Amino acid sequence: MLFNSYEYLFYFLPLSLAAFFLLGRRARWAVAALVVASLVFYSWWNPKYLPLILASISFNFAVGQLLRRGSGHAQAVLACGIGANLLLLGVFKYADFVVRNATDLSGLPLALPHIVLPLGISFFTFTQIAYLVDVHRGKAKEPSFVNYALFVSFFPHLLAGPILHHSEMMPQFASPSNKRPQPFHLAAGLFLLAIGLVKKVCIADPLAPVVASGFDHPESISVLAAWLAVLAYTLQIYFDFSGYTDMALGAARMFNIQMPVNFDSPYHSTDIREFWRRWHITLSRFLREYLYIPLGGNRHGLVRTAANVMATFLLGGLWHGAAWTFVAWGALHGFGLLCVRVWERTGRRLPRVLAWATTFVFVMLTWVFFRASSLDAAWMMLRTLAGGSAVAEPWRGALQRALASDTQTSPMLVGATLVVGLVVITLRRNSNVMALDFRPTWPRGALVAIGLVWSVLQLGKVTPFLYFNF
Amino acid sequence: MDLPTSPGTGTERSSGRWLAAVLLSVLSCLFIAAAFVVWVDPFQQYHLATRYQPRFYYLHHRYINPGLAKHQAYDTVVSGSSIMESTRNDFVAETCGSSGAINLSMPAMSASEQRLMLETAFAARPLRRVIAVLDFNEFSGGVDERQDVAGPLPRYLFDANPFNDLPYLLSEDVLMKAWRIVRGDTTERFTSDPNGAWFWGNIVQFGRDQVLRGLDLEHLNARYRQPQRTLGGMIASFDHNLMPLMRSHPETEFDLVWPPYSILVWLDFARRDQMRVSLDFKRYVFEATQTLGNVRIFDLQSDSGITHNLDRYYDIYHFEPAVNERMVEAACRNHDHVNAENLNAFERQLLSQVATIAKPEGLEALLGAPRAAQGKPGRYEPADQR
Repeated sequence: MLFNSYEYLFYFLPLSLAAFFLLGRRARWAVAALVVASLVFYSWWNPKYLPLILASISFNFAVGQLLRRGSGHAQAVLACGIGANLLLLGVFKYADFVVRNATDLSGLPLALPHIVLPLGISFFTFTQIAYLVDVHRGKAKEPSFVNYALFVSFFPHLLAGPILHHSEMMPQFASPSNKRPQPFHLAAGLFLLAIGLVKKVCIADPLAPVVASGFDHPESISVLAAWLAVLAYTLQIYFDFSGYTDMALGAARMFNIQMPVNFDSPYHSTDIREFWRRWHITLSRFLREYLYIPLGGNRHGLVRTAANVMATFLLGGLWHGAAWTFVAWGALHGFGLLCVRVWERTGRRLPRVLAWATTFVFVMLTWVFFRASSLDAAWMMLRTLAGGSAVAEPWRGALQRALASDTQTSPMLVGATLVVGLVVITLRRNSNVMALDFRPTWPRGALVAIGLVWSVLQLGKVTPFLYFNF
Repeated sequence: MDLPTSPGTGTERSSGRWLAAVLLSVLSCLFIAAAFVVWVDPFQQYHLATRYQPRFYYLHHRYINPGLAKHQAYDTVVSGSSIMESTRNDFVAETCGSSGAINLSMPAMSASEQRLMLETAFAARPLRRVIAVLDFNEFSGGVDERQDVAGPLPRYLFDANPFNDLPYLLSEDVLMKAWRIVRGDTTERFTSDPNGAWFWGNIVQFGRDQVLRGLDLEHLNARYRQPQRTLGGMIASFDHNLMPLMRSHPETEFDLVWPPYSILVWLDFARRDQMRVSLDFKRYVFEATQTLGNVRIFDLQSDSGITHNLDRYYDIYHFEPAVNERMVEAACRNHDHVNAENLNAFERQLLSQVATIAKPEGLEALLGAPRAAQGKPGRYEPADQR
């Protein structure tokens, strides 16, 4: 089930809230109800994968118990636990990728397993790896299976994060006061949910056709159309992901749960390191705490630091998807971060505007690898961006054609969406700041109501038969 | 990590009022929007359009057919892909002697969509007759596979559950359509003839030149990009989608019709190794339905009077409305009925026709002498481009 769906907004979320607060006096029942709701949420897409997440939760809980009780083989138990999680992720997410590459390398006609990727597997696997490490380090302990199941499956974070620490969530789940409805948090949650829904439905989604028209045929578009497509994607991915995260944080807040911030105006960044402190913050935190620092971090000289950075970013790239394009994207960001480190050693500082522009353009160009269907397609797009396109088109025509790629939305509206998106990313106050100092004022209420009504009406698109010539 | 602290009892109280006001405003607005959609009902999901001229929006078959199936009066259904769209309801009713007929065809229809559409019709009323025109391509891929070009399938409109209708009730697209109807705005493309909601036979040109325009005779499938089919896959889809329907409605007569594609389609099948698959599938359908007393099969695919006359076609697949009528007549007046005695004869005839057309002289006889066009010898060009 998606946050931006009718069934979630009109049925699932209100019913879950009602069940949770009605059972609030009996804490265990309330928690159990939320676990059941989360599992329903998860299996809505495909019930076939419900046993998978249940098995994963049960296994990790058992390993956590073993680690918690302490034994002479804690290191081995932890290694087995992490190994099993990575194996699960490997089988479901990377099997096709590995087999395809093995086929390419060996020339043997190996059959692709074609395993369908279960929703949220990357998120719930990483969340649980972090839990096991935290238990091993003595930072977490969870004796209750139901509580643990809620920590992993809590539906607001289940499909797209944030990636949670056990220690930041369980005290909140345990608090009796959090099981009573609190109008202030319900209102603040609704406010954040509305912002997220508007970001996703009214900004990110209308840009998708502009992006697709550019990235689907990079060889047959003009330079301007290519830049427009990349800019549109830069905005789309931010508004899509951060909008979804806002909806997650908003829903959690309604349950009196504060989840960690995942996006903090990343396009304000003036270097790549800052970008990663602002973009998908909980993933950066995970990679730093559970990969980069255990590898040695920056404690063993420049060369070792560079190797650690590159390893972290390569794996971080691969975590996003099983394709070489994601590896390339991660490698570029790792390289960018190393460049920042080297530049800092010179002691020189770029003017702020230049630093911002350099960072923004770098991030934009690296998104090409993230979005392209293959490395070849990414190179083709970069060539077009650099002016290597054979298509020469007057700027006005190129602009009109790119904005008219969605036959159902007026080009003016798409253009306006691009402009609004650009304006919003430059604003000083982002959704987290606005949610933190939320006050239930009437102008804000009117904006929330308009935003919600407008977004809901955008959810049900009527898409006729697409192949006009029969 | 902690929740931001609540700013006090006063704010809690004002938050409660704020929340109630916002939710009430949102739900009121959405309720008004939904009520307006129900009242106008552009897709006739809750009632037929009686207060205004119905609008059968261009290529919106999957959105409008479910409503028509639920509310129109009929006892006979025509079900097929785009090739059957130009079939008028009154012709079917008159030819088949029914009290009312409805054409529920959909472009690029898959077998699973055909099943869903017919299930919707059966849920609405008992049916006397179903004329199901079988398109080979609807059985390609998995049993629930749909063609990408078909666009999303609004399943919520096909069932009787009102709780999943929100995408229809709360959609800006639908709301705007309702508003345009109320305003009398006719800028959208639609027809208003309930007798031929999806009839396109009067807006396109038929003829040999039209069929050959831009056609690559060496790669006949280049324009249509029809997927390769397997016999196993087609049988699985037929068994999964149509057989249960025919079994569970013994009171309804099912007339399965093999449509007369132009002979060029069969030439394409032969070149793409799809000939045997198609013929074996036809044979399977015949054998599988032999035990069902309510199923009859009609085959017009070897009727050279149609299939070899390209003037009756829009492209190599789509024929003129008179051919649609011919198929309906076959079903309701019992022509071209396939039985155990003539099954092999139908197949032999078709194979012989394809063998002839596969020879250069056979093709030339069909198309006329080839002319070199734009440096491509052997490429046929329509007369107006020569």
